[in-house]
Amino acid sequence: MNDRELIGRVLAGDPGAERALYDAHVDRVFRLVYRMAGDLDRAQDWVQETFIRAFDRLAGFRGESALSTWLCSIAISVSLNGLRQVRRARDREVGLDDAGPLGHQPIQADPDLRTRLGQAIEALPDGYRAVFVMHDVEGYTHDEIARALGVQTGTSKAQLFRARARLREALADFARE
Amino acid sequence: MPVLHDDDRDPLDDRIRELAREVNAPPATPREEMWQAISARRQAQPRRAPRPRWVPWAAAAAAVLAVGIGIGRMSVPESNRPTTPATSVADAPRVNPTAYRLAAEEHLAQSEAFLTLFRASLERPGDHRLASATARQLLAGNRLLLDSPAARDEATRRLLEDLELVLAEIAQLSPGSPAQDLDLIRDGIERGDVLSRLRQAVPTGTVPNHGAL
Repeated sequence: MNDRELIGRVLAGDPGAERALYDAHVDRVFRLVYRMAGDLDRAQDWVQETFIRAFDRLAGFRGESALSTWLCSIAISVSLNGLRQVRRARDREVGLDDAGPLGHQPIQADPDLRTRLGQAIEALPDGYRAVFVMHDVEGYTHDEIARALGVQTGTSKAQLFRARARLREALADFARE
Repeated sequence: MPVLHDDDRDPLDDRIRELAREVNAPPATPREEMWQAISARRQAQPRRAPRPRWVPWAAAAAAVLAVGIGIGRMSVPESNRPTTPATSVADAPRVNPTAYRLAAEEHLAQSEAFLTLFRASLERPGDHRLASATARQLLAGNRLLLDSPAARDEATRRLLEDLELVLAEIAQLSPGSPAQDLDLIRDGIERGDVLSRLRQAVPTGTVPNHGAL
């Protein structure tokens, strides 16, 4: 059954179709959201919110983009809002000037490249981070990213360019080794 | 701005990309757990009445939107128009909170004017590329404000978050967008009472400078 048929059955009130739609797309959505959240509990909450919003708005989906891209646009919006809330909560606790990347020690504290890369990714501005994760980690195209983020394709490319530059800068001493 | 290509890569980029796939590597999807939570929340929601499937369009009101936006563009000196930010708020120097509040009020006034025009245009057929482009500009400002001290106020933050969803949907409109996409946007505006909340949030006397319009 293709997405169009599935959507038709969901809109007709078939609960089995809702589950089938969820099963067809949840892995991709979960992968993306988990990469953004970096935390299982947050990722589960945001994936749930994504599908609840998607089911609420499904009548407005007419297949101009792939259903997976549409779901991704909701997932990334939920994730960016979630990251802001997490950051605000953290800022209230530690004060703006002391705030580091979410849930990690300062970058200089750990010499391991993978750990430092994780910290550097989390330290990216949200827009850069979303584009980097979507393109370089999860393999989305710039066209899909642009649709999901509501930006021009050129903006997606520019943000990826800047994100890579920041990551190279953060890992520059490893590159020289 | 140089022309950017996917192969504009430093050799370190490939190593970073490989390692990045190991960072925050997702575990197995907890399907059942999440589905049960989704089902429970959906069952707790009231069911909404179906929306009308098609709204007849006519050219005149689309022109209202185009003219309104065009007037806004023409009435603002080039030097006063906002440009796409090249850096994030995280990179920005500290600014007096009053400046953020005033920026938020200006942004909300612009958004209110834009959504009023846009909603009026929904009664008629038309090409929404101009509205889409305007929404993208407002969306960029909206996201900056969400990351700014202006969003520390709970009501303002919620309004900006709801506004973001509506603007993102308008930003995705294309010339062939179906009527249901427009219904969805109208529903988003009305369901969240976004326009009323925008009007309440904008102090009397605030006149949008139409920078994004």
